[in-house]
Amino acid sequence: MPPLLEMRGIGKSFGGVPVLADVALAIAAGEVLALLGANGAGKSTLVKILSGAYQRDAGTVLLDGQPVSFASTTDAIRQGIRLLPQEVSVMPHLSVAENIFIGDLPARNVFGVAVVQRRRMREESERLLAQLGLEIDPAREVGTLAVPERRIVEIARALAGRARILIMDEPTAALTEHETVRLFDVVARLRGQGVGVIYISHYLDEVFQVCDRIAVLRDGRNAGDFATADASRDDVLLAMLGTRMEGLYPPPGGKPGRTICQAQGLTFRGDLKDISFELHQGEVLGVFGLLGSGIEVLGRVLYGAMGGIDGGSIAIDSAPYAPSTPIAGKAAGIGFVAAERKVEGIVPDLTVRENMTLPFLDRYRHGLSLRRAGEDTEVRHWIDLLGIRTKGAEQHIRFLSGGNQQKVCLARWLIEEMKLLILEEPTRGVDIGARKEIYAQLRELTRRGLALLVISSDAEEIAGLCDRMLVLERGRCVARLAHGATPAMLIDATDLPLESAA
Amino acid sequence: MSAAIGRGGLRGLLGRSWAGVALLLVFYLAVLLTFSVLSPWFLSFDNMMSIGANMAFIGLMSAAQTPLIIAGGLDLSVAAVAGMAGVIVALLHGNGIDVWFGSVAALLVGALIGAINGLFATKLKLNPLIVTLGMMSVVTGLALVLTGGLTAPLLVPGFNWIGSGRIGTLPVPLLFTVLLYLGLGWTLARTKFGRFVYASGGNAEASRLIGVPVARTLMQLYIFSGVVGAFAGLILAAMLGASAPDAAGQHLLTIIAAVVLGGTSLFGGRGSVWGTALAVLILGTLDNGLTLMDVSSFWQNVARGVVLLLAVSVDQIRTQALGD
Repeated sequence: MPPLLEMRGIGKSFGGVPVLADVALAIAAGEVLALLGANGAGKSTLVKILSGAYQRDAGTVLLDGQPVSFASTTDAIRQGIRLLPQEVSVMPHLSVAENIFIGDLPARNVFGVAVVQRRRMREESERLLAQLGLEIDPAREVGTLAVPERRIVEIARALAGRARILIMDEPTAALTEHETVRLFDVVARLRGQGVGVIYISHYLDEVFQVCDRIAVLRDGRNAGDFATADASRDDVLLAMLGTRMEGLYPPPGGKPGRTICQAQGLTFRGDLKDISFELHQGEVLGVFGLLGSGIEVLGRVLYGAMGGIDGGSIAIDSAPYAPSTPIAGKAAGIGFVAAERKVEGIVPDLTVRENMTLPFLDRYRHGLSLRRAGEDTEVRHWIDLLGIRTKGAEQHIRFLSGGNQQKVCLARWLIEEMKLLILEEPTRGVDIGARKEIYAQLRELTRRGLALLVISSDAEEIAGLCDRMLVLERGRCVARLAHGATPAMLIDATDLPLESAA
Repeated sequence: MSAAIGRGGLRGLLGRSWAGVALLLVFYLAVLLTFSVLSPWFLSFDNMMSIGANMAFIGLMSAAQTPLIIAGGLDLSVAAVAGMAGVIVALLHGNGIDVWFGSVAALLVGALIGAINGLFATKLKLNPLIVTLGMMSVVTGLALVLTGGLTAPLLVPGFNWIGSGRIGTLPVPLLFTVLLYLGLGWTLARTKFGRFVYASGGNAEASRLIGVPVARTLMQLYIFSGVVGAFAGLILAAMLGASAPDAAGQHLLTIIAAVVLGGTSLFGGRGSVWGTALAVLILGTLDNGLTLMDVSSFWQNVARGVVLLLAVSVDQIRTQALGD
């Protein structure tokens, strides 16, 4: 009997850069398959191909042994494959039953008008929710439910649409430990009903608890396929991260200089609790954590993009510093490169030159007007030095590749002498060649006397690039490591003992 | 498509959307050509100047609106402010207060209204469409309350000169308008403030994160829009020799249409005052030419709408084809 779903030889490139090459994946009915891989390994691309959001360049997809293709997500859903995105997507002002049947409301034709059959909808909803172990009134507004219950409503919606394969992307990211246990129960019930579940998670403990099999991707290729019962964590981590650390990262720096940034008991809302660290001239301090650990805010809190802090003290170059606004952070000598380059980094309709000089336009001011000659010289200098591949300084930045856009974002802060540069996810969405260049350039910056704070959810990047490392988990600093620590040690440090709650 | 822009020069000043501006110029010349064939009076100097004078107050408001929309804002209350400015001058004048003092008061009220719009839009982060729509209603209503809806005469020779006077052969309002466009064009292309305008509208969050004062830039533009709206109202009142509370309100759509027709994106980040200037000329010329040809004003509305839809469609097709 053929497996429920089989993907063979899947290939996909973006702008000539291969993201997936010859990837295979199979899942049987009633199986829970973990899909693992470091950031950029190709998980999300593979899942998007499977759910119809992207079209594959090569390979075949077989459903029940029959070749299929999905023109759109709607098409994939019709054929029984549904992606549950990380953020629960429900309509809070509709009832539970309406949410479940929103895609296909049971209706009766009354004089040419489709009238919703409320009772049938209600009964069907109750049946589906009972299957998933949730007993609530289907008439309730979904907005009044807790997050895991909303997630179950979303799953029920998938089942109402006769989904046979459910892809769950980081389903526990927004859940507490107790709620996580509840979700595991739902996953077990899905298995009992013969639904194939593809489970994507960063938490290895979770994966070992709920999944039957583990498929690992690395750099867009298959890197391992394990039966959970026979696999060890170390095997899986090795498959995820590989051993090809050498070459990609420059050697660590020399002796660090004076203290540039000293943070004492930094606290910010519920996101950061009592975080302390020191960062010296010429040093790269890495901060690693998973989604929701506090790494999303640490850099911007320090820079001042989130307003004031709720506790703790900071000194920049021995002078007291209180974060308040980006303008104040800049004045204190801090530069900041945000994670979401498209949303928070580039101004797409401006040219490379205009993007690069935007933070320090006063340098080119001559009376009221800006002196173009000064701008041109400076921009050309950085284009050459950082090897930014662009048709020229007057190219609109949106036509550049991710890596080159990132270099422009970096160059912004090199025009003036900064003391501390904060980088969030510096190589997210950047191809491997450009990554290597960026890493080398970052190291070169430390030699010029800059201190770097690199914040990333890519354990390999932090372990490879940084002189010292902090690990954050639920807003706290849970580990401090020195260069030589492996990515596995970083990931291990984040794992909370989930079993204690179970 | 703008990779080849040289330093300085006309292209440098036209800046980011020179291709769109060039298209509008062609369009304008086509309109001129058509009417000059159809009507012998059309292409006379006097008629050209009368188009300029008639469109001046709309041109002023469109000019101030352009950088605001580029920066991601919008001011629908601008025409209502213009009406209010005339009312203020006329009321104060009727009570024996000097007309120039009244003018300054009107400009200050314009600034105040702009500042309130700006506060709502930047501090409370309300949608500028809603904020300024509400403000439009408030200001129009107040102007009607203050006057009882009546038109008041405003005949002060010195004051009327700014609306209907001439320097040499050039109408004064046209000169004001040309000066404003030149000033804004230079500011947008050559100054730090201009760069902030494009950055704020192009990506507000990214700009904020690298220390661009996005909220301050928008605030200044809202105040500027209010002041220019009031100034345009003074010009209109001076031109008519009277102040009517609802004199300018009917022109709001033309103002916004001119900015959009001029190639400024309502989503912010793109546009130029040169495009707006040409669009104002095109719309004014169209009205004038159709009037000369005795086309009813009802049909003029239709023609204006058709031109707007046509020009915006052509620009969209051009943008998609060239990936500009």
